[in-house]
Amino acid sequence: MAATVAETQPATPALSIGMASPHQLHAGSAPSTDSAPAPLPPTRSFKLSDFNRVRTLGTGTFARVCLVRPASATKPLEEEKNPEVYALKILKKTEVIKLKQIDHVRNERAILADVAGHPFITNLLGSFSDNESLYMLLDYVPGGELFSYLRKYRRFDEQVARFYAAEIVLVLEFLHERQGGVAYRDLKPENLLLDQDGHIKLVDFGFAKRLGYKDDRPVETYTLCGTPEYLAPEVIHNKGHTTAVDWWALGILIYEFLTGYPPFWHQNPIEIYKQIVEKPVVFPQEPTISDEAKDIIKSFCTIDRSRRLGNISGGAGRVKAHPFFNGVSWDDILSRRQRGPIIPPLRYPGDAQCFDMYPEEDGTRIPYTADMANRYDRYFEDF
Amino acid sequence: MSLPEAYQYEIQALNRQVLQTCPSDILQFCADFFNSRLASERAASISIFRDRGTPSPRFSPSPTSNFAMMSSQFSSPFGANANPFGGNTSPMASNVMHRVVEEDENDHLAPGAPLFSGAFGGDASTEAPPTLRAPPTTDSYPAQYNFSRRTSVSAESLKPSADSYDNWTPPFTEKTPEQVERLKHAIEGNFLFSHLDDEQSAQILGALVEKPIPARGIKVISQGDAGDYFYVVERGSFDVYVNPCGFIEPGPDGLGSKVSTIQAGGSFGELALMYNAPRAATIISAEGSCTLWALDRVTFRRILMESTFARRRMYESFLEEVPILSSLTPYERSKISDALETQKFAPGDVIIHEGDPGHSFYLLESGEADAFKGTEKVLSYKKGDFFGELALLNDAPRAASVVASTDVKVATLGKNAFQRLLGPVEGLLRRTRYQGVKTGVEEMDPLQQE
Repeated sequence: MAATVAETQPATPALSIGMASPHQLHAGSAPSTDSAPAPLPPTRSFKLSDFNRVRTLGTGTFARVCLVRPASATKPLEEEKNPEVYALKILKKTEVIKLKQIDHVRNERAILADVAGHPFITNLLGSFSDNESLYMLLDYVPGGELFSYLRKYRRFDEQVARFYAAEIVLVLEFLHERQGGVAYRDLKPENLLLDQDGHIKLVDFGFAKRLGYKDDRPVETYTLCGTPEYLAPEVIHNKGHTTAVDWWALGILIYEFLTGYPPFWHQNPIEIYKQIVEKPVVFPQEPTISDEAKDIIKSFCTIDRSRRLGNISGGAGRVKAHPFFNGVSWDDILSRRQRGPIIPPLRYPGDAQCFDMYPEEDGTRIPYTADMANRYDRYFEDF
Repeated sequence: MSLPEAYQYEIQALNRQVLQTCPSDILQFCADFFNSRLASERAASISIFRDRGTPSPRFSPSPTSNFAMMSSQFSSPFGANANPFGGNTSPMASNVMHRVVEEDENDHLAPGAPLFSGAFGGDASTEAPPTLRAPPTTDSYPAQYNFSRRTSVSAESLKPSADSYDNWTPPFTEKTPEQVERLKHAIEGNFLFSHLDDEQSAQILGALVEKPIPARGIKVISQGDAGDYFYVVERGSFDVYVNPCGFIEPGPDGLGSKVSTIQAGGSFGELALMYNAPRAATIISAEGSCTLWALDRVTFRRILMESTFARRRMYESFLEEVPILSSLTPYERSKISDALETQKFAPGDVIIHEGDPGHSFYLLESGEADAFKGTEKVLSYKKGDFFGELALLNDAPRAASVVASTDVKVATLGKNAFQRLLGPVEGLLRRTRYQGVKTGVEEMDPLQQE
């Protein structure tokens, strides 16, 4: 059964989705390296030999995402009408440890399991590990990165930008307000994929964090993470941050949709940060940006969090009521009633031509030693 | 000294534009003006390059001219789509994307540029995948913007010690008052330090560690290495070398070229205070017996986090004690803690004037203050006390003055900010009678008077 259409449930039985909120147990206290990790919600179990790699779809600092097929599949992929294809995210344990990302990887795995099934979020089918690596099996979203389309078209006009922004607003509303305060923390065009109908799928929950409650109060978080151009001022100044960082990033994103580049940029990252905390967003004369678009961007990119749209009273509801979204039928957006403004050019269901090519393996491999296994396997064993 | 002619020309042009249009947002208008001037000036210089057969200087060596061809190939998917917004069914194909204005439609793909040129040449699809793209054309783009994928960054995960039950105190290295003064001066202009409060500054200054650099030619930082420390130069000077390849190469010129020199009072390596990124330059001592002060990222971020965390918890516990706020949820109190602003007063300063309209309420963070009605002292406040909170309910005149009797730090929030965060106050604040809860400024909830 095809996994290319993301809203289609996989033929395999449902995973842990909707299990009795296991995240409540670890809400707000992400496992840290000095205490026993809270158990991850279970998913269906797989092993690497169940799959054959087709090609790499993307690489990150310590992860690689590959298009995979069941090991049993024999027909050439392009001849399959309903191919069983998945995206497999592979994380090297040694890299995860070296880059101090254990907490983040566990957050990613736990949150993906909790949010699986949302129409605009990539769907986790299962996770597993072996001696060297951690694996997350995800629905294959064939349209490639919105980043690629944005760079190719240079910029989007407001109708197009509004469509994607609207879908993202619904994702943020869901994460912030219906999932007990999950901050996504890495919004950017690179992390938005298009499915075959042109709808958004948010991927890479590597920095997502359930802020949760402790002693009956919400917990702010202090770990700096994100992408330089999209970091909120409070993250740069280490003031403790909340889900409000995602609304800031959405302002940056809409700006980049409309102009083709983010409002704060520089070769030297430190100069980007200086601009973010000191400079207002200014708009170029070309292209012409409507007053509503300028206003929503400025309202999101407001340093004072007591004034930032999305964080002020009304939350996401206030965002949806902004004039920039006038005429948007939010029910239609949520139910994906219409196809997106860009339909990915797919030649066959398992096609990967919308993804850039990456070198398949870098060859360098740092072994996961017995000593490391001894110290760290307890953080991975329930993966 | 006279201003450059070109500058005067631009400014006069701007003056004319301002006079003509009388813009309401002056800064935006000026920014737009200069952006547009820059774009047209650069476009002119690019066409000069093009005429000479030289590629655009800004995106070289990548080809810049095959964008239009692909763009037209890709226009077809839009025609089939209905507008998802409202009932507007205007065909999106005509205006959904900005077409790229390209001078030369016949440009062909430069050899070696896209990996995909052959991959679907024989395919029936007429639509090019988004992977087939080139660096965009340059008009109206900022110069030197890097269009490639951006990498995420992340620092060590930090948790306040109150959560992890270890007792952390910031490291401290003794310094002379002169050294402290010099260090203070060296970091005060830096945006990573300029927003710190006195306590945070003092802790940061205390945490800087002395690093003697005894000889000339010692590499303090090597380009491409992991960065964990920020440095302030106390004595001596340091040369900065950058190799365009991003790291030190073997051989005599491996450091790259010298780009600047940092003198006493200067600093370098500040990105390391945010996260571990490869060093962007090599720094070498330029003379003997230099002295540096070093600060590592975890200490820096931890000092900021612990003090912010402690202050937030303090605010939240203060807020719990304010009767009219007692019906707020912890989440709402936390949002208010976020938005509180610190103000300082010297002994004798008037914080609230009797008879003024009330707009803000105050929490006393440190120090002491007294309330006066006329000249009669009616109440004293100490740490954790609050006053003026009825301003959140109405704009009634202050019933008393509040004067600082020592150095005072207050956290304050205005009614407007309160309403922005939590919505209309009427449904939120508890309307108990305020008798017996004398705050000195307002004695009774005026909304309960009827």
